[in-house]
Amino acid sequence: MPPLVRLEDASIGYVGRALLHGVSVAVEPEDFLAVVGPNGGGKTTLLRTLLGVLPPLEGRRVAEGRLRIGYVPQRDHVDALWPLGCGDVVVMGRVPLVGPRGRIGADDVEVARRALARVGLGDLWGRSFGTLSGGQRQRTLIARALAAEPRLLALDEPTNGMDPSAELAAMDLLRDLHRAGGIAVVMISHRLEAVANYARRLAFVDKDQDLWRIGPLEEMLRPEALSHLYGREVIVREEDGRRFVYPVAGGERP
Amino acid sequence: MSALSEFWSAAVIWRDPLVASVLAGALLGFLGVYVVLRRVVFVSAALTQLSTLGVIASLLVLEAFDLETDHQEIQLVVAWIFSVGGGLVLGTLGLGRRLPTEAGVGMAYVLAGALVILGANRLVHVAHDLNTMVFGNAVAVPFQDVVILLVVTGVVALLHTLFRKEIVFSSFDRETAEAMGVKVRLWGGVLFFTIGLAIPVAAHVVGALPVFAFLTVPAAAALLATRRLEPAFAVATGLGAVAAGGGYVASWVLQVPTGATMVVVAGALVLPAWLWKRLQS
Repeated sequence: MPPLVRLEDASIGYVGRALLHGVSVAVEPEDFLAVVGPNGGGKTTLLRTLLGVLPPLEGRRVAEGRLRIGYVPQRDHVDALWPLGCGDVVVMGRVPLVGPRGRIGADDVEVARRALARVGLGDLWGRSFGTLSGGQRQRTLIARALAAEPRLLALDEPTNGMDPSAELAAMDLLRDLHRAGGIAVVMISHRLEAVANYARRLAFVDKDQDLWRIGPLEEMLRPEALSHLYGREVIVREEDGRRFVYPVAGGERP
Repeated sequence: MSALSEFWSAAVIWRDPLVASVLAGALLGFLGVYVVLRRVVFVSAALTQLSTLGVIASLLVLEAFDLETDHQEIQLVVAWIFSVGGGLVLGTLGLGRRLPTEAGVGMAYVLAGALVILGANRLVHVAHDLNTMVFGNAVAVPFQDVVILLVVTGVVALLHTLFRKEIVFSSFDRETAEAMGVKVRLWGGVLFFTIGLAIPVAAHVVGALPVFAFLTVPAAAALLATRRLEPAFAVATGLGAVAAGGGYVASWVLQVPTGATMVVVAGALVLPAWLWKRLQS
């Protein structure tokens, strides 16, 4: 099957300010790609370029015609001041499909209800979005992305600020959605540990090193590669079938 | 005869001004929900100032060509150009990483304010026209202004009914809307076009200060009193109408300045909204 979207030898960044050069990546329909790197390393810019929000400065982006994208922002980027119910937020996922000439109908509401139920919050349809816990908000935003019936689910730091239990629950949910729904997942994270047990492929991004590297998870999780990315020694350990990744205290590398 | 009965007996005088004030209050109250939720309260202040600058600019040009300055339709059109243009620029402004958007809004506000003062300084002989446009003249609103306000209200209502879901989505979560293919610049532009359209005609009726107040206070009260967007729009529209109408009647009966009274009435409506919120929680 052809990739859903690909960047070919792209330079990414903003007009007059390229952050990364020579980026080539193809997102396949069954992909689970995690993009990791330090804060401010260019991950979000890469994602925005992949989604078509930012044009590549050089090279090109090729996407499947009428590619349906579901997007999940960082939950604290969404303004909880707005007086919206969970259902109101999830229904927004239908807006790109319905288009300016269409109206949100009963079918769209039904799809949104199913999406909210799929993330385990079916009984919170009428609850105020602003009164939800952090984890519930994140699930609601995932439900909104699912309401778009996406072929590609893109997430920006979906577990940012979550406690370990909520992080685990969110990542399990993403894995289940990926497996059951046949949805390609591209997520960015600065927490390698959060993605090390879920992604199929891993990409490293760091504009300061003009670093762009992508490969299968097992190949990319080698301590030498990670130490190069983070500038300090990193240990990768496997225990009870789960991978643990952590930097060594005082292990800075020149 | 009491002040109130005098008021009723003068219905022919106040009918059009009252209708225009209520329409302006309702229209701005509705738009104010977006202004408050998008956190662009000072954009509305800057647009009001730009609208006034448009009036000054039109008067200066008319005077430069030795034309009659009493062409209110020309003043209104130029005020619209300034206000809508300013809305489209300020509402979708991004100054990059070096400056926050508020810096651009602040600069527009003070520069427009300074140019208004400089321009007004050269227009001493048309001070009356200027005063009417800047501070409003709700006491004597011609029927023509009621019609213009009705047309503008209709255009705003139509655009916000047709494209409500796009405007709400791109206002609530611009990042996601953009990533999912919604044209956020277009819908932000539509929103600020309607705000820019409403401000000059409302300012002509009620004045600059009430315009700023109606774009902020009724929406703030409505957001305190309600928990959903639709009721917030309805309540803000109603409170805007009540503040404008109530302020108009109160100013007539108490013989005090109309615009300031409208603002005070609007402010007074926040208290019951706050109490309602406290009772509910």
